Amino acid sequence: MGESKSEILQGTLDLMVLKTLEAMGPLHGYGIARRIEQISEEALLINQGTIYASLVRLMQRGWISGSWGASENNRKAKYYSITKSGKKRLAAEAENWERISGVIGRVLRTERG
Amino acid sequence: MTRADEEFTAELGSHLEMLTEENMRRGMSREDARRAARVRLGGVEQLRDANRELRGLPLLETLLQDIRYTFRMLRKNAGFTAVAVLTLAVGIGANTAIFSMVDGVLLRPLSYKDPGQLFVIREVVPQWTKSTASLAANFPDFQIWQKECRAFDQMSIAEAIDMDLSGAGDAEELHGVRASANLLDLLGQYPALGRSFLPEEDQAGHDHVVILTDAFWRSRFHGDANVIGKTITLDGEPHVVVGVLPSSFHFPKAIASDTFSARIDFFKPLGGPRFYEQDLIGEFDFTAIARLKQGVTPAQALAELNVIQARIAKQANEKLDLTAQMLPLEVEIVGPARKGLVLLLAAVGAVLLIVCVNLANLLLAQAPGRMREAAIRIALGAAPGRLVRQLLTESLLLALIGGGFGIALAYFGVRALVDAAPLGIPRLDEVAIDARVLCFAVVLSALVGGLFGILPAWRVSSTDPHKTLKAGATTTTEGRRVRRIRQGLIGFEVGLCTALLVLAGLLTSSLFHVIRVNPGFAVERVLAADVDLPPQGYSQVQTRAHFYDTVLAGAKTIPGVESAAWITLLPLEGQGSVTGISLPGSQDPQNEALHANFRGVSADYFRTMAIPILAGRFFNESDHGKKVVVVSQALADRLWPGQSPVGRECIAQWGQLQNSEVIGVVGDVRTINLEAPPPLMVYVPDSYGQEIPGAPGSASIVVRTSGNPDVVAGSVRSVIHSTDPNVPILALRPMTQVVSQTLDARRFQTILALLFGGCALLLACLGVYGVVAYSVEQRSFELGIRVVLGAQQSRLLGLILHQGMVPVAFGLAGGIAAAAVAGRLIQSLLFGVGAFDALTFTGVAAVVLCVGAAACYLPARRTLSLDPMVAIRHE
Repeated sequence: MGESKSEILQGTLDLMVLKTLEAMGPLHGYGIARRIEQISEEALLINQGTIYASLVRLMQRGWISGSWGASENNRKAKYYSITKSGKKRLAAEAENWERISGVIGRVLRTERG
Repeated sequence: MTRADEEFTAELGSHLEMLTEENMRRGMSREDARRAARVRLGGVEQLRDANRELRGLPLLETLLQDIRYTFRMLRKNAGFTAVAVLTLAVGIGANTAIFSMVDGVLLRPLSYKDPGQLFVIREVVPQWTKSTASLAANFPDFQIWQKECRAFDQMSIAEAIDMDLSGAGDAEELHGVRASANLLDLLGQYPALGRSFLPEEDQAGHDHVVILTDAFWRSRFHGDANVIGKTITLDGEPHVVVGVLPSSFHFPKAIASDTFSARIDFFKPLGGPRFYEQDLIGEFDFTAIARLKQGVTPAQALAELNVIQARIAKQANEKLDLTAQMLPLEVEIVGPARKGLVLLLAAVGAVLLIVCVNLANLLLAQAPGRMREAAIRIALGAAPGRLVRQLLTESLLLALIGGGFGIALAYFGVRALVDAAPLGIPRLDEVAIDARVLCFAVVLSALVGGLFGILPAWRVSSTDPHKTLKAGATTTTEGRRVRRIRQGLIGFEVGLCTALLVLAGLLTSSLFHVIRVNPGFAVERVLAADVDLPPQGYSQVQTRAHFYDTVLAGAKTIPGVESAAWITLLPLEGQGSVTGISLPGSQDPQNEALHANFRGVSADYFRTMAIPILAGRFFNESDHGKKVVVVSQALADRLWPGQSPVGRECIAQWGQLQNSEVIGVVGDVRTINLEAPPPLMVYVPDSYGQEIPGAPGSASIVVRTSGNPDVVAGSVRSVIHSTDPNVPILALRPMTQVVSQTLDARRFQTILALLFGGCALLLACLGVYGVVAYSVEQRSFELGIRVVLGAQQSRLLGLILHQGMVPVAFGLAGGIAAAAVAGRLIQSLLFGVGAFDALTFTGVAAVVLCVGAAACYLPARRTLSLDPMVAIRHE
């Protein structure tokens, strides 16, 4: 398909951010980064700051929205939440993944047999 | 640092704080925690740079990028751009031109001070309302209002007046306004040179002063500022010029049914009531304009007026009631033109809509290529919003460029319209392309651009990149939904076109009917010369009669002239003089009288105009000095149904009641205009008693010729001149021209309607052609296969035709329904045809179906005639 490795990683990171926001509700940048670190075992984030590139991309596509609010310790933080079109996109991508992994799984099984 | 930068820095700062706290919870010291946090977050400067880059350029720069890109695209598709710009220029230009007329005539408030407070006051005699709904104002009544009515700041009256200018170069008849001294002040208008009138100049003997209009001052006195104080001779009497009005001053050509001249040369004060203007319920000749006091409602003012009117009626002691009517000045000036102009605007707006539809379809046709490009850009990460913006920029830019050319077209269009427009439309001198109109043009262009761009933009932006890129390498098939939309647009277009054509057809039919109306006299081979006898030398009946007799005798000697006569006012030139006719022995002659038009004529008039005699005889020598009249058939049927009126008496009201003997009945003549039914007519001979000064001060001399009337025009002119060179000839033309001029307004309307209908048809035709051509091209592969498999060409042709005509048929049906409704609205403009004229409707339906079928057939045939193998291989 011609996408470089970094682009594939970018797309995956964006997907994870969307999923995180959908599962956990509105979250600030630090919260999102922490969660992704935990799940991906630090494979996706070189440093936590790279989350912000993803957040900007997702905002530009209208899949998330951000607004300032107060954090747990009454600190000012910018919270992000997934939008309706973001949810749609997430569902479409998830479906895509299911299909691809299903096909690949079948191919691999037949080869073994 | 921009605000966005600041915001992101704050966000990073808060993130850092949270990381630091986490580290501190793990047991690090504050300093260590902070350092570890920074490492884990990443370089702040780097992050800020990356963030700024990702955010992209500010709006203005993206906009400029879009515009530059758009220009490149437009240049690449030069053909499409040219067609689009041209159609847009015509559409927007036409709308701008018409709007400038609508704005100048209808929308812009009158150029007077506080025009909302200005009202026209008319008098109403309830007993006369069956024949005359309302009357102009009467001089003594006005004087009483002025003295007693407290609801108005100022009141004034005005009437049109013609006076002959002599003594300085050519004798010329001037058109002016005789008005209260305070009229100009009431309107809030002041002379540019000199002074306005003084109140005392309204009195008799003090009124030999005039104020000139700017146009007359420039033409006659060449803008000489020393004209103030100069004396000019009007109607033989010296008048002093005391002021000149500014060029911005406009006086209406008509206020309701009171007409002034199209060209006004001077204003003159009232000079007291003339001898015939002194009855309380007598001459109703003046237009009364009044300025309502602030805080007083029109209803209150009217109530006060009616009380005063009741008192006047009692004082007049004539068994008649008197009330008043108040109408806003603006409505009275503009009212009659409103309907026609609004109709015009609607028609031209409809044409513009059709242009939009065509362009939208054109852009949609380009959509597949655009969609592929858009899909790639989206897949590479472009925001769809940006794409929509870029597409809209393209259509807006097209519209604005087209609009620019359109404004240029409108300049010429407005000039042509104002020149060609019949004199009936008021305030034409105030029509111009000014800031308001330019604003309208720009806003309209933007709206148009948005309108036809929104559809393709939405279409392109809602593409799913995966689906689009997966589809065939070269073509992208249209979804059914899009095809439905395009067909819907075509249907809408055809509907509008049909409605316009029906309206144009009805108007054209009306025009033909009016042209075919029999006016009741012979129009061919008659020449008419309007003369106006100046007061000096012609104050006596004998001198006037002598003038006419000499002229008629001289005219009869011209070779080619069969007969000659005069009449006080030519037929087809308007209402003229009206009187009441009743039968002797009626209890209340004044109030039971029928209203009839009357004209004074010389003995040979009926013969000259070939008006048939139906009973009795024409006037002759033996009638000299006797009170005899000739009546029209219509009047005879009303007053003496079933009997012959010849030899019977009737009572006419000329000043006092006059017993007159009817000696003849003539055929009906369309005296007022071609469209109104022939009025009740009474003809008075030139030798009737004393009360009607037989030979009038102004009349039209009519001459019947055996050949072309233009041939004798010169001779007629010299006969009049040799009789008296001081008598101005106001007009000299064949009766065919008089008839033609009455048709001017209607002809103008009809030509415009046909123009719009034709444009709409052409555009709709192009639209249908485009859509069918496109869909056929899309299906060229499928069609090629069918042909190879043996399908008949004619069968395929039929299929394509059928599919192409479906939206046309629906559009036609919708258009006919719309036209049925619209026809009702313009009923008042029609003549001789009903709003649901079957012939017109079927004719238009036939035209639309034929043109639609042709537009479908041509592209279909072209494609089918190509080698099918080429089409298949091409895929």
